[in-house]
Parts: sequence; C-alpha cells; structure tokens
Amino acid sequence: MESLGNKLSTLLAIAWLLPLFGFVVEVFAMSWPNANRKSKAAAYFAIFCIGFGFVCSSIAFYEWGEGTDWAAFKAVDHGHSEVANAAEHGEHAATGHDDHEHKAATHETPKRTVFSGTFYNLAQFGNLKLSLDYYIDSLTLAMFVMVTLIATCIHIFATGYMAEELVDDYVDHQVHTHDGGHFHRPGRFYKFFSYMSLFCFAMLGLVLAGNIFQVFIFWELVGICSYLLIGFYVERHSASTAANKAFIVNRVGDFGFIIGLMILWTSFGTFSFDDQHEVDGNVNKVTAGLFTMVRGHDGHLDRSSDGQTVLLKNEQDVNGEWHVRKESDPGRKTITYTLLIVAGLGVFGGCVGKSAQFPLQTWLPDAMEGPTPVSALVHSATMVAAGVYLAGRFYPMFVPEVLLTIAYVGCITAFVGATIAIVATDIKKVLAYSTISQLGYMMLGLGVGGWGAGLFHLVTHACFKSLMFLCSGSVIAGCHHEQEMTKMGGLLRKMPITALTMLVGVMAIAGLAIPGTSIAFSGYHSKDAILATALAYTKLNPIHFLLFLVPLLTAGITSFYMFRLWFYTFLGKPRDQHLHEHVHESPWEMTGPLLLLAVLAAGCAIGGEDGKLFKMLTFSEPVGVGQGVDGAAAHTVSLPGHAAIHASHSTAGSAALLAAFIGMSISYLVYGKGVINPADIKRQAASVHAFLANKWGFDDLYDVMFVKPAHVVAKFAAAIDKFVFDEILHTFVRMGIAVSKWDRKFDEGVIDGIVNLMGNSTYSLGISLRNVQTGKIRQYVTFIAVSVVTLFVLLFALYPKG
Amino acid sequence: MFTAETLTSWIIFVPTIFAFFLVFFEKKAVEAMRVFALAGTVVTFFLSLALIGQFTVGDGGMQGKISVPWIASWNINYQLGYDGISLTLVVLSAFVFLVSMLASWGIEKHVKGYLILFLILETGVMGVFFALDFFLFYVFWEVMLLPMYFLIGVWGGPRREYAAIKFFLYTLAGGVLMLIALLMYYFGSATPEAMAITGHSGGSFDLLKLAEMAQRGDIFSPGLQVAGFILLFIGFAIKVPTFPFHTWLPDAHVEAPTPISMILAGVLLKLGGYGIIRIAFPLCPYGAQVAAYALVAIGVISIIYGAFAALAQTDFKRMVAYSSVSHMGYVLLGIAVWKISEVTGVAEGRDYWLMGMNGAMFQMIAHGVSSPGMFFMVGVIYDRVHHRDLNQFGGLSGLMPNYSGMAAVIFFAGLGLPGLCGFIGEVFVVLSAWNYSKTLAIVSAGGVILTAGYILWALQRVYLGPAYKGPHPEAITPMTSREQAIGWLLIVPCFVLGVYPNFVFNYTNDSLTKLVDTLDSGYQNTPKPNSVQTTQK
Repeated sequence: MESLGNKLSTLLAIAWLLPLFGFVVEVFAMSWPNANRKSKAAAYFAIFCIGFGFVCSSIAFYEWGEGTDWAAFKAVDHGHSEVANAAEHGEHAATGHDDHEHKAATHETPKRTVFSGTFYNLAQFGNLKLSLDYYIDSLTLAMFVMVTLIATCIHIFATGYMAEELVDDYVDHQVHTHDGGHFHRPGRFYKFFSYMSLFCFAMLGLVLAGNIFQVFIFWELVGICSYLLIGFYVERHSASTAANKAFIVNRVGDFGFIIGLMILWTSFGTFSFDDQHEVDGNVNKVTAGLFTMVRGHDGHLDRSSDGQTVLLKNEQDVNGEWHVRKESDPGRKTITYTLLIVAGLGVFGGCVGKSAQFPLQTWLPDAMEGPTPVSALVHSATMVAAGVYLAGRFYPMFVPEVLLTIAYVGCITAFVGATIAIVATDIKKVLAYSTISQLGYMMLGLGVGGWGAGLFHLVTHACFKSLMFLCSGSVIAGCHHEQEMTKMGGLLRKMPITALTMLVGVMAIAGLAIPGTSIAFSGYHSKDAILATALAYTKLNPIHFLLFLVPLLTAGITSFYMFRLWFYTFLGKPRDQHLHEHVHESPWEMTGPLLLLAVLAAGCAIGGEDGKLFKMLTFSEPVGVGQGVDGAAAHTVSLPGHAAIHASHSTAGSAALLAAFIGMSISYLVYGKGVINPADIKRQAASVHAFLANKWGFDDLYDVMFVKPAHVVAKFAAAIDKFVFDEILHTFVRMGIAVSKWDRKFDEGVIDGIVNLMGNSTYSLGISLRNVQTGKIRQYVTFIAVSVVTLFVLLFALYPKG
Repeated sequence: MFTAETLTSWIIFVPTIFAFFLVFFEKKAVEAMRVFALAGTVVTFFLSLALIGQFTVGDGGMQGKISVPWIASWNINYQLGYDGISLTLVVLSAFVFLVSMLASWGIEKHVKGYLILFLILETGVMGVFFALDFFLFYVFWEVMLLPMYFLIGVWGGPRREYAAIKFFLYTLAGGVLMLIALLMYYFGSATPEAMAITGHSGGSFDLLKLAEMAQRGDIFSPGLQVAGFILLFIGFAIKVPTFPFHTWLPDAHVEAPTPISMILAGVLLKLGGYGIIRIAFPLCPYGAQVAAYALVAIGVISIIYGAFAALAQTDFKRMVAYSSVSHMGYVLLGIAVWKISEVTGVAEGRDYWLMGMNGAMFQMIAHGVSSPGMFFMVGVIYDRVHHRDLNQFGGLSGLMPNYSGMAAVIFFAGLGLPGLCGFIGEVFVVLSAWNYSKTLAIVSAGGVILTAGYILWALQRVYLGPAYKGPHPEAITPMTSREQAIGWLLIVPCFVLGVYPNFVFNYTNDSLTKLVDTLDSGYQNTPKPNSVQTTQK
C-alpha cells in the first residue's frame, strides 16, 4: 500500500506541476523579443502539459484500481440489494432503530482507502505544523481525471477559438478609441494559454491538497487566474471591472473562509484532513487529523452530556482506534458546538464565494466577459465547482445545522439562478445563470445528506456544461462575436455539429430520459440522485418541505430555459439576415472536442447509482453518511441514510422527469412552435420581467449597501488623517512657532529691554552723577557723613535688636 | 579577518569607508561615483551573506558577540552581536540598499552629497540592527535621522521641506522618548541586585543584561516597566508607523525620491518593529503584557484604517504609502498576541504567539521586498510622465507590457497572493490572532477584502484600459535594462519567500522561541500589583 501511495502521489504531482512548467515556459517565450505572434507553439505546449497530465491521472486511476483490486466497483450498495423492502428499511435506518443491520451493511462495503502524505513543510512553530500535503482517494482521482480531460478538450477547442489572436495587429471591435476607430493591439495568443496553464496548475493543486490551509492557498490562486482570464481583454472597461468584481466578491467569501481557518487552527492545532504519520527516530508518531478528531472511525460526533461541547478524538489505542482523552489528560481537546458550527459556516462562506452561491452569486454572470473557453473551463466546469468540491471534501466537519444552511443556500441559489436565466438573452449569460442554478443543486444535494449525489452532479455538470459553453463559443465564433440570441435563429442548418452537440447538452442538463428504460442522459441520473435525497430528507424533516419542492420546480424551469436557448438559437427563422449569411460551422479543432464532450455529457453517468462513476465517487464517502443521522434526540435535523434515499428514488425520479417534460413542452410551444408569443407574456408580466432582468436587484443593492459606503469610509479615513492628525501636528507646530515668536518678543522686548534699561539707566545715572563729581573735598566729606549716618539708621531700623 | 565577531563591524562601517573615499572623487565623475557607491552596497550585501554562513542555525541566542569599552565611566560599551532576528533584517537591509542604489541612477542633483548621505544612512541602519548596547543603539538611531532628513529635504519633490521637517520632528520626538526610557533603565539598573548581574557598579546600558534583569522580575518594578514600555513603544511605533502616529509617512514617501522611498519602506519602517522586538518587549515584559490588548487593537486598527485610507487616495505613491501602514499593522498584531489565561495566569496557546511573532518577522521581510517593489514601480512611471494621479493613467499594459507584468506581480505580492511573499506573513499573523481575541481576529481578517479592493482598483486604473489618459504620452518608453534588472531583483525574492518561507523561519524561529520563553518568565516573575491584574483581558 505504501508503494502505491508513493506511485499515486508521484503521478498526480506530475500532472499537477506540468502545467506550472508550461506556464513558466510560455511566459518567458512570450516576452522573448522576437516572439512570433503567429505561432501556435504555446497552445501545443499547453495542450501537451495538460494532456500529459490527463495521461498521468489516468495511469494513477488505473494503478489505484489495480492496487485496491477494483474494490470500488465491486462494492454493492446495500440500499440497492435490499430494494424490495427498501421503504421499510429506510424508515428504520433513518431513525436509527436498526443499528445491527447497518453494521452488517457497512461490513459489506470495502474499506475506503486514502493515501496521504507530505510534500514539504512550510513552517513549524512548536507543535504547530503547516505543510503542503496530498490526500488521494477516489474523489481526488475522479476529479483529476475529469479536470485534466475537460481541460484538454477546452485547450484544443481554444486553439481554434483564439486563433484570431494569432496576428500582429488585432482589432478589438468592442473598444473604441477617442478618434472613433477600433482599438488595435498585438495578438495575445501566448498569454491566453499561459494563463490557462497556470489555472490548471492551481486547480489541480486545490484538488490534491491534503489540508484545508493548502486548499486555501490554491483557492486564492485559482481566484487570481480567474481574475486574469476574465480580464483577458484588458482594454475593455467592462472586462477589467468584471475581473475586479469577481476577485473582490470572492474575497468576501474568503473572509469567512479565514475565520473558519482561524477557529480550526486554534481549536484543533492542525489543518490536516488525514492523520499525520511522522517518523521520529524509531518511533512512528501518529497525530490525528481533523476528520479523525471530529468523527473517529464510525462517523459519530462525541458530545458532552449537555451537548454544548464536542469532544475530540486524538488518542490512538493499540488497535489503531481513536478515542477521546480523559478529562485529566492535558492533551484532551474540545471545541464548543457553536464554534464548530461557526467554523463550518466560515469554510462554507468561502464555498459560497467561489461557487457563486446566494448571496454572492453576482460575480459569475459578469465573469462571462472572459473568452468563452475560459467560461467553459473556469466558470462552469472546474473552478466554480471547487466550492462544491470543498464542501464535499470537508463534509465530516459539518454538523447538521451547517448542512441545513448549505441546503437552503443551495436551494435559493438554484431557484434564483434559474429564474434569471429565463429572461437572459445573451447566450453566455443564460449559461452562466444556469451554472449558478446547477451549483445550487449540488450544494443542496450535499446539504440534505446526499454526499455522493452532490459530487455526482458536479462531475456530470462539468461534462455537459463545458460542452454547452464550448457550443456557445462555436456559435459566437460562427456569428462573428454576436452573443445576443435575439439576433440568431435558424443556425441548425448552418452549424449542424454545434447544434446537435448542444442539443445533447441541453437534454443532459434538463435531465431527460426515456421512462421505463435505462436510457438516460447524465444529468437525469445526477439530478435524480439529488432530488431523491431531498425527498428522503423532507420525509424525515417535514418542516423543510421546500427543499424538495423548490428544486423540483427549478428542474422544470431549467428544462424550459435551456430548450428556450436551443430553440431560439438553432430553430426558427434567422432574425438577422446579414449575420446569418456569414455564419459558418467551426473548424475541426473546435467541433472535435464538442463531439467528445457530447459523448461524455450523454454517457458519463451510465448506470446511474449502479454505474461506475457513482460507485467510484461514493467509495470515498465519509464514514457514517450512509447510515444517516437521527437528529430527533439532539433537537436538530435528521439526515437520510442510503436506504432511505433509495426508497425515494422512483418517486423523485418520476417527478423530476415530469417537470423536465413539462418545461420542455412549454418551451417548445413558446419558442419552437410559436403558439404563444413570448413578447405578449413579457408585456403582461412587465414588472416581473423587469425584476428578473435586473437580476433581482442584487447588484444595485450591494452597490448601495457595501461599495458606496466603503468609499465613503475610505474618504473619511483619509480626511481624518488630513484634518485631525495632521491638524494636531500643525497646531503643535504653530504653537511652537507662536511661542518662539513670543520668545523673540520677550527676548527683544523684556529681557533685552531690561538689559538695555539697565545699561541706559546706568549710563544716565553716570551722566547725572557727573554733576555731583564736583571735585570739592568738603562736599565729598558731607556725602560720606550723610551716607554713613543713613546706613547706620537703616541698620538699626531693620535689625533693632542687633 | 572575517569572523562573525568582526563581520558585524565590517558590515556597519564598510558603507562609511566607501562614503569617505567618495569625498575624493571629482565632482564631474558622476558615473564613477555611482559605480563606486554601488560597489559599497554590493560589498556590504555580500558581507551580510557571509554572516549567514557564520550563523549557527538552532542556536536562539546571540552570536558573534563583541564588547569593547567605549565610555567606561558610564559603562557604555561598543557591543555588537546578532541572532536570527537581526540577521534576517540585516540581509534584507543590505539587499534593499543595494537595489535602491541601482535605482538611484536617475539622481542628477549633487550626486556626491547624495551618495555620501546614502552610505552613511546604511551605516546607521546596520548599527541599529547590531547594537547590543542601549546607548550605542540610540547613537546609531540618531545617526540615521540626519541623512534621511537631508535626502528627503534636498532631493525630494515640491513639498520636500515640509515632509522632511515632519519626518524629522516625528522621529526626533520618538528618539526623545527612547532617551528618557534609556535613562530610566540606566538608573533603574544601579541597584545591588542588578549589580549581581552586571558585575560592575553603576547602571547598565547592556541590552542583554537589562533583559536578563527584566526576566528576573524583581529588579524593575511593574510601574517602571509600564512607564518604560509606553515610552519605548511610542518611540518605536512612530517609526513603524502605527495608527495614530503614521501621518508623517505618506508625506515623507510622496516627497522622497524613489530610491529613498524604497529605503524608507523597505528598511526604516522595520527598525520600529525591530525595536519593539529587541528592546521594548524584553526590557518590559510586564509592561508589554499589560499593554498587549491595546497593541493588538492598534495593530488591527492600522490594518483596516490604512487600507481604507489607501482606497481613498488619488496619488499613486500615497496609496502605496498607506498600504505600508496597513501592512505594518500585521507586524504589531503578530508581535502582541500574547495571551495570558485569566484563570491560571499562565500563557495560553504559546505556540500561537510564537507563530504570530514569526509571522510578524516574516511580514517585515516580505514587506521589505514588496513595498520597495511597489515604490519602484511607481517611480518608473513617474520618471516618464511626471505625475502620479491615479485617474490620469490607463492602458500601460499595452504600452509597457514587461513593466506592467512585473508591476502586477509586485502588487499581487502586496495583495497577499499565495506563492508570493505577502501571503505568508499576513495569513500566519491572522491565524495566530484568534487565540488572543476573537473579535480583533475577525476584524483583522476583514483586511483581505479591503486590500484586494484598493490594489485591484489601482491596477485597473493604471495598467488596464485602452489608452493612457494623462500628460506626456510620448514619454512612455519601455523599461531600460537597468530598470528591468531591479524589477527582477525584487520579484525573485517575492517568489522564493512565498514558496519556501522556511528561508526566514529557519533563522527566526529559534531566536523567537527563546524570546517568547524569556518574556513569559519575565512576566511571571514580576510581582503583580492587584489593581493592574484585573485589567487583563
């Protein structure tokens, strides 16, 4: 096992670091004085790096499978095997009366395998250690394969899409110079691929990270890559503003993330997910990681009798089991339950920012200013899904209250995003809102206890959404950078491959399937998994019934707006004849990736929850999730176990499918067939339309609530410096000057005056005494006599008693 | 010839020797003088590297100590030495002086005088870092003051006289406070108990001995420690600078010529932090602990206040100056997160304090690289277009792509991007703060949003956009090779430190561990008046 761990970490580290190497090479090649701007070398090098990364990831996946005897795929879902009495079983499982059965069930499941270790130490202070680690389980591997594969497709696509940058003189039609012309600049093909490589490095680092601090490091790095790529067209004010907005809004989420980190760091003294092994001399020292401390081996949270304190398991017995230390032990660690909730919410705050969840969703639509391959890779398939990935990775640390928050945030996000997508007319904006909405689904899935379901949707969504973004990119390139759907229409004939692959994507996201058969698009399986979990959850916690109904409704809306997009763009009559005439299908380097991704979008989830993908993911499911949680005793929410979820499948699946068909049908009637004129609806519900078109007013609200006040406070702070602190100093100085002026006056007027006066009076005295200096002896003797007498008189008068 | 004992003196006086020989250069031999002065800084830098070679990692104590009687009747010695704390800062300073000298090629006025003052300034700085005698420390401290005053006042911008006098007054005031504390400790150490430690009659200026006395606890009364700490802290806080003693900084920075701004930000501010770590804390552990909450609060206020003020600036250089106030706030915050349990009265989570201290040291080094970088980047564009109005730039990324790329890296380092140096210091300090105070820790974490705000907004206005909007567009030419070299010199350490922070922690950790131990025992040994104990937070 040891050697397998080393092998895996080496392979994945190569896959992770190659794009960084690519970035460095491309950056230097770019600044080479005579760099040829017409060469595609940078693109090929970037593709090589990420493609080789895919190869390494695949080998790692294979090695892992062989090394673990493909245990993940052999795993039998106990829920499924007992499908006959699933309903009954589910009830039992969820309420926790059936413990022995559960143990039996979990014994069937092979033990999940995690390979973890340290690359190098960042710092160590006393017992506190910060390092760059790796944490490899089946989720890591699945993410690696997914990210590298999709990134490779997108890189190849981008060689076609960004080809117009292969010039010495690129004309940016969206930027006007003051003399009325368009802006000219050298092409930036190299730059684009260097940023893309840097992003791949950061994203893979995030996935590989073995501790939450390391996640944060790469979290920020993907953020800056996103900033650079959104602002790729730096000359466009809208692009640079959108880039700033994306980064700053993400930092708001990171503010929460940091608070979470502070709490974890102070309470646990480690950031490591897994237990850390350290060889100290001959002694093999093991320190508990975060997950062990909170959950131990069975996923159970140990709380003090009053429930206020969580007891952490950081003592290992001879069998390798972890226990809470005794109260007398100075090494005993505890954390208050409230603090654990705050820590969970804080980390989730970071996920809210990165995955564009309500209330920080506003940056993602603006991020569409970046080139379309960026939107496909960064802002739909990988980076924005990182928030979901982290929520999944960090799942053992979330207590039910945090999960409930996650569920509601996801639920609201899914709904808000979908409603805005209905009225958006920019093809990329529709997809952006749809991304927000789908990310909400994933969060919802995680929040209601569907660990596998949420991450399942992450992977399927990555496939079909990157496909759709690339299709939209193909459309945009074909239409000479027209993004408004109101000018499109009837493109099916002109660009059939794009249109049909897009249709695959649309059907996948809408979650279509043929009822009664096992034929279904990937989105059906994953969405069904989420809805089934939500249904099971609402059965256990009836008060939260909205957590099922809203996403169900949203499933219908999703189907509606996605088909609207397709009908709008590809069917009907061309709305702009001039545009239509110049439309052409994209070259092979763009359509090739589309076809490959279409296959993935349709089939990556084959078999649903019995399929390989789902089994692979759930092989790493945190311990205890499968059993569910009974919250009745602790007065919190309950979480459904596998069996309970399985019992809800058929209901949820049919409902979701029905919703999708209804949405699709309405869409067909309105936009495909034209039975109802959308303009009429728009007129009838003008205020609703305006509200949605204004994105629920979030941007305006935040502007008034945060942006403007920040600038006011900033001005205020600057003014305090100028008018208070400096003024105090100036007053002191003025006082000093005034005092010295007084001093001078005093000097010249009083002291000099006295001196002068004395001098003058002495002089005048002398002058006047000249008169007495007569030279007459008798007069002198008289003076002396009078003086002596006077002195004696004075003496006796003052000192009478002698 | 170059043992650890003599290297310290060489590093201090090599710049002065070069300055002395500069006197004999002909006035017209400008280029030769520059090269000669540069050689002086290069030699000093390599000597500082040699000092690293002499350093024993793992030993937290003072190394390479020498002590020669200077004014024996007052027990004043020429006493030098260094540990990990001073070593890292000495190397940083020697590096920043070297880079700033490279950046001084544009100085045309009274070149000889400029170079001589520049080198004397370096001597003063190095002396402060090595001095282990309080009086010697004070002398070097004041030696720095005059060259800086003239460098700002003669070679500065339009309001140079105002800025120079402001700088002078503030620093002088700080120096006077330090002088009072110095005398307090000199006469306070003339007791019989103290003589047992010093081994001679009369008071002592020996910083190590004074620290040892403070650690014993019964020699310096709590009252003396509190009063001494307040005096010393204000004296050093002016230099850091922290809120509310910071307003000299924006003016001094804005008016100073680019290389002098680089030295101000990269080196002189660090002297404040160094003074707090080397003198204020060890001499008054009790006073420091009593004031800890106030210090942490001042640090946090500086972070937030500086960031807000930076957001409001329209002058590019002034914005960078305020970013220094914000970034140096982390230093104070990290130093002061010394938590004493209210129940048991002993230190709680000392490893977190140690982490904060290390973070503060790292932040000083990191800021010592990134901030000169930012000032240099401002200087490059100012030299071309002769204005700094943030609203009158734009489009530089198209006109000067290499320059813009380098500037972006440096500004991202200031923004605290992982992989670059600014991240480690900031995040380590913030992470250590929760143990001390939850509220203040949360407020300090809020700094990340504001920092992103002011830096990205400035980047957008200066580098992005379609066209340059200000005057002298014709003067915008690509970076010269000298400027590129300076840029690279500053960028490389940003990456190295950001990726492998142990380059700093390897040297600082042992010394800081020792410091934390002695401070803690000093506080425990000091008899506590009951009235003060209750004010503990």
